[in-house]
Amino acid sequence: MSHPKTPHVVDARYMEPPGPFVATMEMLDTLKEGEKMLLLLYREPHPLYKVLRQNGHDYETELLPDGTFEILISR
Amino acid sequence: MQALLSFENAPPFAAPLRFFLTAPLFAVLAGLLLAWNGPQLMASRWMPGALAATHLVTVGFMLQVMLGALIQILPVVAGANLRHPLRVARIVHIGLSGGGGLLAAGFLAAIPWLLSTAALLLGITLLYFLVVCVQALASVPSTSPTIRGLKLALVGLAAVVGLGMLLAFELAYGWSLPLAALVDLHAGWGLGGWAGILLVAMAYVVVPMFQLTPGYPARPSWWFPVAMLLLLLLWSGGVLGSVEWLVQLSQGLAALAGIAFCVLTLRLQGKRRRARADATYRYWQLGLTASVAALLMLLVSVLWPAASELDGWTIGFGILIIVGGFLSFITGMLYKISAFLTWLHLQNFGQAKIPAPAMNKILSDTDCQRQMVAHAVALALLLAAVIVPDWLARPAGLAFALANGWLFWNLACAVRRYRRAQADMAEKLAAL
Repeated sequence: MSHPKTPHVVDARYMEPPGPFVATMEMLDTLKEGEKMLLLLYREPHPLYKVLRQNGHDYETELLPDGTFEILISR
Repeated sequence: MQALLSFENAPPFAAPLRFFLTAPLFAVLAGLLLAWNGPQLMASRWMPGALAATHLVTVGFMLQVMLGALIQILPVVAGANLRHPLRVARIVHIGLSGGGGLLAAGFLAAIPWLLSTAALLLGITLLYFLVVCVQALASVPSTSPTIRGLKLALVGLAAVVGLGMLLAFELAYGWSLPLAALVDLHAGWGLGGWAGILLVAMAYVVVPMFQLTPGYPARPSWWFPVAMLLLLLLWSGGVLGSVEWLVQLSQGLAALAGIAFCVLTLRLQGKRRRARADATYRYWQLGLTASVAALLMLLVSVLWPAASELDGWTIGFGILIIVGGFLSFITGMLYKISAFLTWLHLQNFGQAKIPAPAMNKILSDTDCQRQMVAHAVALALLLAAVIVPDWLARPAGLAFALANGWLFWNLACAVRRYRRAQADMAEKLAAL
């Protein structure tokens, strides 16, 4: 799945926990320096945010009208 | 890595567990009280037994689970960390259990000092809880409808507790206040401003996450908690200024907002991607259906006020919204949260070397679904007892006690299996 913001997308909207976390960490491992990935979820993943901050990743979150949170994460 | 890292956010299991295990016992007491008091308890909402049973369920069960769950999930849904979760849990649990018990005893025995002591104990406990939560949420921006809802629900909690204390002192010392209007307002803040907004804020997260439905649309999600709070403020203004049409307008609009939320959730559930209907899903279906029925009753009584004078109308509404609605939502979520927590703590205990047992091995869905049937039977009997109290009040009380005793048993068995699994894993880790 691709997206205008980045080709690296994890659509975790219909995954049960801890699926979204695992899929995100796995994709982050495959990214090169400077690349970005997009996580799609129907909630804000605060535990993931904490790990991203601890590991020095930047992220931006946008809430779309359909209730999807788009989280753009930098490697 | 995932479990270990997300575990950093999780308070100790003992923090929420004490609330989850105590709550069903209060509901058992409420059921036994009905079985003991019989039809006279259902004669009017002003009967001492009815007031005691209502608060055993709302304070002893609902508030107990809600506060325990909040201590657990604030870090997960809002990124807000309580400073000393176990200490907070111990203090709040003792205050809430003691206060809830004293309050019920105060209503039953009509002893003023019991009522005022209960009101003080509950007031101080909940003020402490509110301060702790405000400290945790103060630096958290409202980046999602859930966080906004959580913050506004705490306003609702402050209002229902303040009004509850006022009413308890009024009953204890005979202050001259408009009792009926204030009791309705107290119930409105409790069920709409606190429990309702909190439930909706949690639903935004847990319904899509656990039932694999589409998300709630953003715009109404942002506005629902604000609208509900404004309507309750209008209602309060109507009571203060004795403006009856304002009270009825705000009640009617709050009922419509509640119905809209329930219908939207039912529609989302209709699009779920999980084929199997588990206990949580079924509990929510029951809760949503009962809530719509109760809110339609509220709407009817706004449009035709004489309806609320009909025999059993108010008691029937209370049973539908509290037992049919909130208890169903809360128990459904309680099962899911308890199963997930046991798994999370075992996963962490295994240090990524020993896998945790599957959630279903700790808390079987079949057991939860059987208990749910008992809850549904108790609800049906309670509603039927409103019509034929002489025959059915006592059996309904026993059925309600049995359903909640069963809930306690299911949770206690899950804790026992959790401890056994932990011991097995400790042995395996030692052997590595």
